[in-house]
Amino acid sequence: MSKKEKIRYPFYVISHPFDGFYEIRHREKGSVWLALFFIFLFGLSFSLNRRYAGFVVNMVNPRDVDSRAEILGIFLVVLLFAAANWSITCLMEGEGRFKDILTIIGYSMLPMILMFVPTTILSWFIAADEEGIYYLLLGLSIIYFAILLLIGIMVIHNFGFGKTLITLVLTFVALLLIIFIILLLFSLVNQVILFLQSVYTELIMRA
Amino acid sequence: MKKNRFWFIPMIILMLPINVANASANANVPYHTYNYGYWDDIYYTPAAYVPSGNISGSKLEIGAFNSPQDIFVGKDGRVYVADTGNNRIVVLDSEMKLERIIEKFDNEGKEDTFNTPSGLCVTEKNEIYIADTNNLRVVALNEDGSLRKIISNPQSEVLPADFVFSPLKITVDYADRAYVIAKNMFKGIMAFDENASFTGFTGTINVTISTYEKIWRRFSTKAQRERQVQFIPTEFTGVDISPDGFVYATNIDGEGKQSIRRLNPKGQDVIKKGKVPLSGDLTWRLAGDYSGASRIVDIVYRGSGIYSVIDKTRGRIFTYDHEGNLLYIFGGIGSQEGTFRNPVAIEEKGEEILVLDAYRGEILRFLPTQYGKLINEAIALRYDGNEASAVKLWEKVLELDANFEPAYDGIGKSYLAAGKNKKAMEYLKLGMDREYYSIAYKRYRDDILKDNLSYILTGITLLAVGLAIRSVIKKRKGKGVGEDE
Repeated sequence: MSKKEKIRYPFYVISHPFDGFYEIRHREKGSVWLALFFIFLFGLSFSLNRRYAGFVVNMVNPRDVDSRAEILGIFLVVLLFAAANWSITCLMEGEGRFKDILTIIGYSMLPMILMFVPTTILSWFIAADEEGIYYLLLGLSIIYFAILLLIGIMVIHNFGFGKTLITLVLTFVALLLIIFIILLLFSLVNQVILFLQSVYTELIMRA
Repeated sequence: MKKNRFWFIPMIILMLPINVANASANANVPYHTYNYGYWDDIYYTPAAYVPSGNISGSKLEIGAFNSPQDIFVGKDGRVYVADTGNNRIVVLDSEMKLERIIEKFDNEGKEDTFNTPSGLCVTEKNEIYIADTNNLRVVALNEDGSLRKIISNPQSEVLPADFVFSPLKITVDYADRAYVIAKNMFKGIMAFDENASFTGFTGTINVTISTYEKIWRRFSTKAQRERQVQFIPTEFTGVDISPDGFVYATNIDGEGKQSIRRLNPKGQDVIKKGKVPLSGDLTWRLAGDYSGASRIVDIVYRGSGIYSVIDKTRGRIFTYDHEGNLLYIFGGIGSQEGTFRNPVAIEEKGEEILVLDAYRGEILRFLPTQYGKLINEAIALRYDGNEASAVKLWEKVLELDANFEPAYDGIGKSYLAAGKNKKAMEYLKLGMDREYYSIAYKRYRDDILKDNLSYILTGITLLAVGLAIRSVIKKRKGKGVGEDE
């Protein structure tokens, strides 16, 4: 597949999710780098929406908007979700590889990327009782993302609908477990460091 | 580069006189004056009121006040102080000089005295209503000091059998109805008619129990439940009344949600809430000195919808307008002149604000600065619906404090009324008023559409015609190609 085709492929995927995701898994039509780029773009458009949405609909304190933190945060959530999903589906005979999971998440975000920026621009031209259309457009893109993600997970792992829902619930549990373990690790490492520090102070005081 | 190097010099020169004026106004003020911006952040403003001396019992040469609890300013400017610990009422004339001391009165031939009078109110006819707390009665005296009536021992089915009526604070409306805050009475403010008979409660504060607490109580045993905190409604702390008969009352709210109520004659709370909770500070320290939500202990209605309340925790005076906007916050706890130790009551005398400090036994006086005066006047004009003439004042306010959002809002609204939609949008955005901004924007957008309607329609027609011609040509060409083959 040429570079141009690879870049065009996500647009095919969002209009033909079942076939599109199937070929990502089995015919190597996806690109992890492109997916990561989409995740970055989504983070950017999310931040842009928070900062530049029109006055009437923007309830965010501009001083609270931190694009770097928001983009990194979205990356973190995506990576956590992908890791949790991968660890669960591995055990449940899912066929998807880690890179497939990352790819489908990135590609599923395309509708949101395409919608957020135009909607933000649209929001400059609306008045108080026309907010509905703004929220509708944003909401639709988010729902589209959720449906794409669901189909993506279903297709790449070769699951039925019910099994996908079960794995999603388990993914959520795994996500919490991962966070818990990371926190535990941090506090343990912290304790070790403190212990070493106090040993060091003891030695110094003695000498 | 050369052009830009000295751009700041004219600005500094322009700013100098203003800064000097502010510095001199702030130099002797022992507290900060501040306000909350739209995003709940504190910003400091020029002083709205500055201390202008104090009055104590020893200065009046009548012996120090002993834990005075209430103060009232009559219509004629006379100042009445309930000198609680000395069991007397001190009356000052409008120049704040001693006029007389009321220690006793004639009660049906016998001489009677007060016992810890802790609240008072004076009507337009100069009748003095005194909450004579430990004598369990309210004494109403005529202007000459003779007894008018006594309110005591109210009888009603709604009162508990063992209820002891010990009045703390009182206010009286234009029809001689008395509203009394009594000790340990959680059902609301007690209302009495002109014949001194109890007519009912007004402004009951309902207890709210959260779902979490309900669930928790369900799972606890009876013994546990008895030991848990009782859910008792809060007591009222201070009252005042507006000339049109609305009772303004304060209560202590530990969560900082609502400490101020405006009660209509039916006893319902009809206060208008703005963006900030009507409860003093929005943020506070959780532990240590001066921690916890503001404890609002007294209120004064100042006319034109403006009211000020005093916070006992941090000694601050909060002033709101009739829409619930915070206008300015000043005052503080301390031992310097102009700060409080235990503020208990607030009143307004002319343009002065008087605060009674029970610990110091002093009346502290505060005079408005230009900044405070401008805000008061502009709000009064707005209250009377005179937005256009308020604009000039708002502009002056903005020269002193460029962060004052109600000023931008006021200017924006008057531009809107004048039909200057673009200007209105600019100011309403600065005033963070989304509702009116929308109205201005809609009008602005409609105007643009109207002005350019002919161009837009022409454009659309041209586009349609163009597309039609193109499709016809394409069809012809297609046919032509077909014929050629």
